[in-house]
Amino acid sequence: MTRRLDGARLLRVARLEMRRADLGVALALAALAAVLLGLGLTAGSTPVGLVDLLGGGLDEAQRYAVLELRLPRGLTGFLAGAAVAVSGAMLQSLTRNPIADPGLLGLAQGALLAILLGVVLLPALPTGWLPLIGSAGGLCVALFLARLTGRGRAGDALAILLLGLSVETVLSAITAIVLLYAPPDLSFAVSAWLAGSLAQAGWPAFGGLALWVLPALPLLFAAGPMLRLLDLGEDHAHALGLSLRGARLMVLVAVVVLTSAAVTVTGPLVFLGVMAPHVAAALLPSSGRARLVLSGLAGGAFVLAADALSRALGSEIGLPLGLCLTVLGVPLFIAILRLRAVRRPS
Amino acid sequence: MKHILLTALLLAVPCAHAGERVLTDNAGRTVTLPETPRRIVVTHDPLLGVPILDIGGRLVGSFGRTDAGTAQSAVDFIDSVLGPEAVPERPRGVGPAGQMDFEKLRALEPDLIIGSEYNAGIVAQLAQIAPTYLQNTGTGRVHGFGTQERLASVLGLEDAYAARLAAYRARVGETRAALPVPPEGKSYLVVIAHDELRLVGEMSGMIQALEDLGYTRAEVAGLGEGNGLGSNFAVPLSAEVFLRLDPDVLVLMNSYTGSDRDEASIRAKLGRIAPGWERFLRPAKEGRVIFADSAKVSTPSIASAEHGLVAVRDWAGR
Repeated sequence: MTRRLDGARLLRVARLEMRRADLGVALALAALAAVLLGLGLTAGSTPVGLVDLLGGGLDEAQRYAVLELRLPRGLTGFLAGAAVAVSGAMLQSLTRNPIADPGLLGLAQGALLAILLGVVLLPALPTGWLPLIGSAGGLCVALFLARLTGRGRAGDALAILLLGLSVETVLSAITAIVLLYAPPDLSFAVSAWLAGSLAQAGWPAFGGLALWVLPALPLLFAAGPMLRLLDLGEDHAHALGLSLRGARLMVLVAVVVLTSAAVTVTGPLVFLGVMAPHVAAALLPSSGRARLVLSGLAGGAFVLAADALSRALGSEIGLPLGLCLTVLGVPLFIAILRLRAVRRPS
Repeated sequence: MKHILLTALLLAVPCAHAGERVLTDNAGRTVTLPETPRRIVVTHDPLLGVPILDIGGRLVGSFGRTDAGTAQSAVDFIDSVLGPEAVPERPRGVGPAGQMDFEKLRALEPDLIIGSEYNAGIVAQLAQIAPTYLQNTGTGRVHGFGTQERLASVLGLEDAYAARLAAYRARVGETRAALPVPPEGKSYLVVIAHDELRLVGEMSGMIQALEDLGYTRAEVAGLGEGNGLGSNFAVPLSAEVFLRLDPDVLVLMNSYTGSDRDEASIRAKLGRIAPGWERFLRPAKEGRVIFADSAKVSTPSIASAEHGLVAVRDWAGR
């Protein structure tokens, strides 16, 4: 006799290891993201009403704005936000540090600097190569960190964080020097990208991002159970049979691929990697694959909200996405921290 | 067989319909554009917009402007180079700094978009809206009025450009006659003071004016377009190297990002960056310094070069 499976059971069968509550929150976040994406389709310099959008009564200019500009921009923002948020969640589990994120460890800066050098030194390089160059930059940083911290076990997480912070500082300085010596027009052109921007995110950018993010899914899938063990602490994880070296390498490779792909398209999405996993955890504490899914959805929704805010403020102001993200996210983050402090017994 | 091959060859070559032209832009792209473009949008106000307006072209849109057509930056290069009355109908903006608003761009219904080599990353999106021609603007890729001459050809304004150039050449002759010492064999350098000092490269009307007068660029050890990462306008210059500069003529100007561009402001800024420069710099001690307004002389246009000639004549008349 065949038995009908509900959504939660289906996901468990697919080994996403999500509880019913996880699934509920994930669906709520996905619905929020869909609403924000819909609102984003109505925001911009071409007036598009929600009624026109839902009724399909769009003229040629509106169709162009919605289908060729706003939809790929929204989807790209969602995917990039999810990639950075998942990277943050993975790094926080790996380092057991709640403020770890790809930017703090220098991985995003490594990708960013490599892309910047590629653009400055090889201006004729096709843009399709940039994620590869970014990944190479991020991977160099990751291998450098792994090499320096890979020998011992005790205190490795803290060592990774401190070394990452040092590397990030050095790479930021080099980035500033490159910008100083780069042609002013190029410096000007990349300044918006460095502040985080979806201004140039069309279908090709979305396709390029998806091409890099989708192959990373198997790595995320495999990393989920490892992260659950790492949440117990490195000693416990090791005692339970986890190869710490293998886990670190897998997490770092996944983080590098996701971060580089996102950075190439949107520039650095500052603080998102720290913020989104905490917001997801505030909604529902979870671990392993469920944490990655919830963090990813929260990160994607955050970027959609920030992008909608950026465009609602008017295209003459042009508040960069990164700034909108901070304006929206930091107050929420502080509220969550205060709420946790209130809940925590003194 | 020969006829078939010839026919196939003719079909393979992009052909223009009536009222259209087929050109190859500086990026090597084949662009089919209207014979006489009427709704032109440029992606760079001083480097592409001013050279077009200077030879009588009209623009409907330009990057770096507001919806009302005012400049988003401190300096409106149309005002400073061409004069406030020269372009009554200002090009409208197509997005905030660094972020092209493709919706606004499309709403302007352009029939030609002119971008620079730095727009190669968004050329596919631009070309979806209108034929897009990429014109080089950077040092090492174009020189002097090269950009303006090429744009004149793209827009069918060759006659206007030739007339403008002839008038300019006459002013060059007048200015040369007013110089105290013949410029042949004499050297020049141009330095602009932003937060730091920068040596101006090949891309400005000031440079073109000096070279048309007969000055040649002085060599500066360790500096030049081949050094650093290249520049389309200027390369950084340390205060120590600056104090050792000794060309026959040194042009000094303040940044075009501020309104403090007169001689007193230039002297004050240099005093902060290179204290004591008036006592150490030989051209300053020997009266070989020309003060210029960067907002007037920096664009690669004949109009900017004419402002450069005025600055040279003012210096010569002292």
